[in-house]
Amino acid sequence: MKLLKTLSICSIVLAITIPAASQQKKKAAKGRAILAIPEVEKKDVICFALYTVSDGTLKLTAQLYPLAEDDTKEVRLEIEKEGRWVEVAKVNAIDPGWTAPFRVDNWDDSKEAKYRVAHGDEATYEGIIRKNPVDKDEILVAGFTGNSIHPTHGGDISRQDIIDNVKKADVDILFFSGDQVYDHFKHYAGWLKFGRDFGDIIKDRPTLCLPDDHDAGQPNLWGESGKVSTLGGASDGGYSRPGEYVQEVERAQTSHFPDPADPHRIGQGIGVWFTNLNWGNIDFAVIEDRKFKTGPAGRVPKQGPRPDHILNPDYDPTSVDVEGAVLLGERQLNFLNNWTQDWAKADMKVALSATIFCGGAHIHGNANGRLHADMDSNGWPQSGRNKAISTLRKGFAFHYAGDQHLATIFQHGIAEHGDGIWSFCVPSIANLYLRWWQPLEPGANREEGAPEYTGDHLDGFNNKVTNYAAANPETNPAGNILNTRSAGWGIVRLNTKSREITMECWPRNVDITDPASEQYPGWPRTISQFDNYNPPSWGKLGELSFNVEDPVIQLIDKETDEILYTVRANGKTFTPGAPEGKTFVVKAGKNAPDNIVSEKGKVGCAPQSVSLN
Amino acid sequence: MPGEKQDQLLLLYLRLGAFLCFAGWAWVHFYWHAPYGVLLWHDNTFSFLQRFGITWEEFVGTGVGDGWVQKWSGRIGWLYLVCAILSLTARKVSRFQMIGLLCGSLLLVILTYAKFVKAQYQLPMFVEHGGQMLIPVLLVFALFFGIRHQMTVKAAMVAFIMTFAGHGAYAIGFWPTPSTFYAMTTVILHVEYQAAQIFLYIVGALDFVICVGIFIPSIRCASALYGAAWGLVTALARPAAGMSLSLNYWGADQFLHETILRAPHFLIPLYLFFLWQQSPSRSAPESTEGTGKPAITS
Repeated sequence: MKLLKTLSICSIVLAITIPAASQQKKKAAKGRAILAIPEVEKKDVICFALYTVSDGTLKLTAQLYPLAEDDTKEVRLEIEKEGRWVEVAKVNAIDPGWTAPFRVDNWDDSKEAKYRVAHGDEATYEGIIRKNPVDKDEILVAGFTGNSIHPTHGGDISRQDIIDNVKKADVDILFFSGDQVYDHFKHYAGWLKFGRDFGDIIKDRPTLCLPDDHDAGQPNLWGESGKVSTLGGASDGGYSRPGEYVQEVERAQTSHFPDPADPHRIGQGIGVWFTNLNWGNIDFAVIEDRKFKTGPAGRVPKQGPRPDHILNPDYDPTSVDVEGAVLLGERQLNFLNNWTQDWAKADMKVALSATIFCGGAHIHGNANGRLHADMDSNGWPQSGRNKAISTLRKGFAFHYAGDQHLATIFQHGIAEHGDGIWSFCVPSIANLYLRWWQPLEPGANREEGAPEYTGDHLDGFNNKVTNYAAANPETNPAGNILNTRSAGWGIVRLNTKSREITMECWPRNVDITDPASEQYPGWPRTISQFDNYNPPSWGKLGELSFNVEDPVIQLIDKETDEILYTVRANGKTFTPGAPEGKTFVVKAGKNAPDNIVSEKGKVGCAPQSVSLN
Repeated sequence: MPGEKQDQLLLLYLRLGAFLCFAGWAWVHFYWHAPYGVLLWHDNTFSFLQRFGITWEEFVGTGVGDGWVQKWSGRIGWLYLVCAILSLTARKVSRFQMIGLLCGSLLLVILTYAKFVKAQYQLPMFVEHGGQMLIPVLLVFALFFGIRHQMTVKAAMVAFIMTFAGHGAYAIGFWPTPSTFYAMTTVILHVEYQAAQIFLYIVGALDFVICVGIFIPSIRCASALYGAAWGLVTALARPAAGMSLSLNYWGADQFLHETILRAPHFLIPLYLFFLWQQSPSRSAPESTEGTGKPAITS
């Protein structure tokens, strides 16, 4: 009886004291960052500013600290002309979020301009609108993902190394692929912190921030066109946080993007921001790979302890490629289809999105959790993944992304290994959640001396992938220092003269200009733009010689009328690749493929001289 | 209704509450995964186990085979299943079964603690599970002391207050309101965000009102009845908002257990309601084993 009484009392006491004790312990713990909005003086009320310039339009968003009720809400944008500040736009800051989105049409992008954002009589914030670097041979795009600020894994360590390196390399564009903010309830406070950390480089160059799942306030995101998610983990599809919260997030992070290609709103009044940005003769497609994607819970047969995780390696991959499951959605595929055909003012094409089109990791979390497949990756649904890759490769687009917490280089395949685009997934700024690329079988067709995890593989969804590099964290356990967890960032050098793409993957806290500094193993790697659609089984048509430099060439399947690809040649000659046994209509032009060059293009056909007006 | 039958009915509410709570969590352990990861998959836990000669691979698995973490997470489900059965079979004389139920309560405390840590030490996350953690204790008290004994009733009131105060603290916004609260309100009531906000604020305030109300004799029956109704509604809200004919098994495997394991949220208030609603003569002090303390009467 005594035992019973004791146990009963213990249960009640435990139920009451555990949380109380933990609350005390929490105060002393160094695990999580305290995210607060600091009080600032009126002269410092402008936190930072982001901008893009595209097709003659400057869009700039100033991010303000909270304005007092009696403060004016009016914010002004001024440009320095002949030593004087000239107002070019003014808007009222939008609450919630205190963003001031400016738009200036007829912007002359051939000249650099100094700008300042002004509020009231005291507050100003200055930066530089760069000129469009069309005269540069090499455009540098710095890529980032996963900006955790929590001390447990080094998130509290200063970002000054990144700031210094970006300045030293004089990067042209900043690309933040997602999870700029990890706090699921306080995006505004997190966004201001992001601005304080990165504003010094953002203010002087075009910047693209793609809001991903954590930015939107949920652990994973299958947006399902704006549905409301009610399942913990959100794998039922849709948004967990209210539509207004998501709108505020997107207003802060994307309102300075070029206008969306197809601006119709989705459910809960949430906008869209998929678009393209042409800068330095590189045409960037900015893709929303989460917004339209179907949630897996209840749609696919259960294969593991979570609706989105597949643990059983013997499952049938075709069973999860269910009818009706969407990845990019028709609206975006239509946009991308048009984008791949449009080569005006473009030498190369790059697709930017949150994550890569395959299951790019095997071990998940801190504890060797081998996951056969993760439906949060863009490897699922396979049909949607194949549609995305088959569309992007029509423009020889290189894919730049993040989110995986694991840097990788893959070439994607559909019908055969190596018949699709290349992707570079950048490492996290601070790595909250560890992942490893660690296939059980060595890859086929590896390069000489390459690690066993490289080479041809099938991912957990049976998608064909070829791995060229993976910056796996240390194991057993990985520790809490930035670089033992493979934290870092990336640079992609896009050379419009040689048409080469060089991927660099840097650890944190190294000087990238120091020759002694080393990148993660497997980097740097240089590929040709034309490697993004060069299936091993293809043959070559006869060489085409032109009377103009860098014409645009298009191949169309004569039987199906389907465009095989459109690309800008490098120089006056181009030897088209194509599948054997088919006939193609070959079109070409200076900036658009508006002249038929041949209607009988076949592998092995004779060389041809082409004169374009 | 004869008094003995009334008491059996009151006991049935507690039995059913404990059984459904354990059964629901057993389902989570077997079919989905329990939230222990935040405690187990941790460097500090491994450091502790290293003292006993356990390697990292043995602890977390090799990647090909399961380690301690994966194996034991699943095995705990059997303990929940046993506790579910004990909830139905335990009698006043079966001390070992009662001890088993109290151990089950400790299991629920550990599980809730894991959820509490995962929720970044938000106090309401722990507190709102009070009904679930205490339902086995309540059942043991009811069997051991008596269904109307003041220990049983006081414990039920503690469980009631924890459940609704925790829920209310989230709903009213003292801690960040969970996204699912807004989502379920929006979907079920077909209202916009602002209306959902107002609704949650009102029901959150009512959660606190009934916590006080059960101490006021004139309104405690009404408070308990509201608690039972509101507890049932919030438990049913998960499947109501999430299930759909277009999903495999209509989504039942995703959402039904969420209602089942929340059974104490409406069965404990129901127990209190019927206890207090019955006539004073039936609520008269009854002999209590060992303590001699009177039961709480209206």
